[in-house]
Amino acid sequence: MSRALRHLFVVLLVFVVALPFLWMAYAAFLPPELVYAGEITRLGFSLDNFRALAPEGFWGRLGYSLGVSGLATLLALLTGFPAAYALREGAPLLGLYLFLLAVPAEMLLVPLYGVLAGTHLLGSPWALVWPFAASPFVVFLLFQGLRNVPWQVVEAARIDGAGEGVVLVRVLLPMMMPHLVTAGVLSFAAHWNLVLYPRVMTSETWWTLQVWMADLVRKYPSDWGLLSAAALLGTLPLALVYLLFERKIVETFEGSLKG
Amino acid sequence: MKVRPRPAWLGLLPSLLVLAVFGLYPFVEVVRFSTWDWSGLSAPVPVGLANYRELLADPAFWHSLRVTLAFAAITLPSFLALSLLVAFALEGQRYERWVKGLLFLPGLVTLSAAAVSWYTLLSPEYGALQTLLYALVPEDSPLAAWLVVPAWDREPLWALLLVVAFTLWRYLGYGVLVVSASLKSIPRALLEAAWVDGATPRQAVRYVTLPLLRPAVTFLLVVGTILTLQSYVAVFLLTRGGPFGGTRVLGYFIYEVGFEQYRLGYAAAATIVLLLLTLVLAWAQARFMEER
Repeated sequence: MSRALRHLFVVLLVFVVALPFLWMAYAAFLPPELVYAGEITRLGFSLDNFRALAPEGFWGRLGYSLGVSGLATLLALLTGFPAAYALREGAPLLGLYLFLLAVPAEMLLVPLYGVLAGTHLLGSPWALVWPFAASPFVVFLLFQGLRNVPWQVVEAARIDGAGEGVVLVRVLLPMMMPHLVTAGVLSFAAHWNLVLYPRVMTSETWWTLQVWMADLVRKYPSDWGLLSAAALLGTLPLALVYLLFERKIVETFEGSLKG
Repeated sequence: MKVRPRPAWLGLLPSLLVLAVFGLYPFVEVVRFSTWDWSGLSAPVPVGLANYRELLADPAFWHSLRVTLAFAAITLPSFLALSLLVAFALEGQRYERWVKGLLFLPGLVTLSAAAVSWYTLLSPEYGALQTLLYALVPEDSPLAAWLVVPAWDREPLWALLLVVAFTLWRYLGYGVLVVSASLKSIPRALLEAAWVDGATPRQAVRYVTLPLLRPAVTFLLVVGTILTLQSYVAVFLLTRGGPFGGTRVLGYFIYEVGFEQYRLGYAAAATIVLLLLTLVLAWAQARFMEER
């Protein structure tokens, strides 16, 4: 590839990838009357779309979704960190985790429905939490991180009389912060982006923002301003967290793919 | 060498407990369900292998299987090619990190929000992109005939391509990172040795870099197969399986049968077929890549 062609390719790529975001941000501020008249190229600015979100119950859904995804992620990190530590200490179960990594929850919709019905979680918000309280992905990512920790540090701590808990919390936790943040953000995003799972497993009261938004499209397919405003605000929390840690996340994830 | 259990292994317990109930047990359940006639609410009636027999005679199932394979056959090669191309184009550029960060973003943003944006942007005839194109190029000029957003609401192939494009948009960042990580782990000395031996940059890529990328490509191919065969959320959000079932991939077929027609036993049988298909294809590809 010649140099100019290479730059052109990247510019084009960036444009195509960014276009849906740019459009989302633009359309959210379009005055509704312009959208209905089909005159979206005329410049206009309005906050009407954002005001219209409250009566549709947007803010409650947003808070609720942040809550359940946050809780599920927290639990996944709490169970994942000691599990990754055990694998790093030679527990022979890495294969099992890799196998489960390959099967997303949305694939097991039918049997999980049965399991949840059996455990009386079906229909309640806990159906969104407990099945995600352990994540093979988190375990794998943290395990990859632990492989890069010089293990003499752990052995030295043990000689000094540190128990497993102390090793985990006092010695390894500070060193593993980038991996914990990365695993946390990525698994939060994975949970946040479940659509069909919450739709099927919970009653309408407990639908997440995703399901609610997919429904909104069915309800007002031509109210682009409203839809875009919901899309923009629904994306912002995750996008902000990502941008805050972007460097760490990309580097850590890339690093964990090397080994 | 026998490994002695250590106290640290206790750390696995909470994780394993959850995964056993919600990750492994479902595999047992799905086999059991597949022999039931069951709506989820009614009491299940055991029917033996009737679900499988019906499935093999169901034209909707076969059609859906073809759509799934077509989807994978378009998505996988373009995903691999784009991942390689982009990773190469970005390697060592000043904007490398910045672009990678951007490429990663679509996979993280709210899925249904992304679908909203795509849907309003790319709707045929009245979509934002079409409106913009007509504003730039008059509708009656000869050029305008080429600048029409395809009618993916009526033409199955375009609908499928839309789902492919959406899927690529979401996962390209991961693919690029995998290739890029592998590129960076190639020792520079190897390339320098090739140059010293008189290899052109193109030859160096062909005979040194590409062979060393094989593990990364294998990884992408296997993971990509698993994910493309099983992905159907984009279908739900963008096309709902239409038009004329043109995007009804197996995953979506299962969802429809199970949770819109409430035939969970039948859906369980289809799930097993899909899991087997995934397993066989992923395994075959891993073998194929190893042998070459």
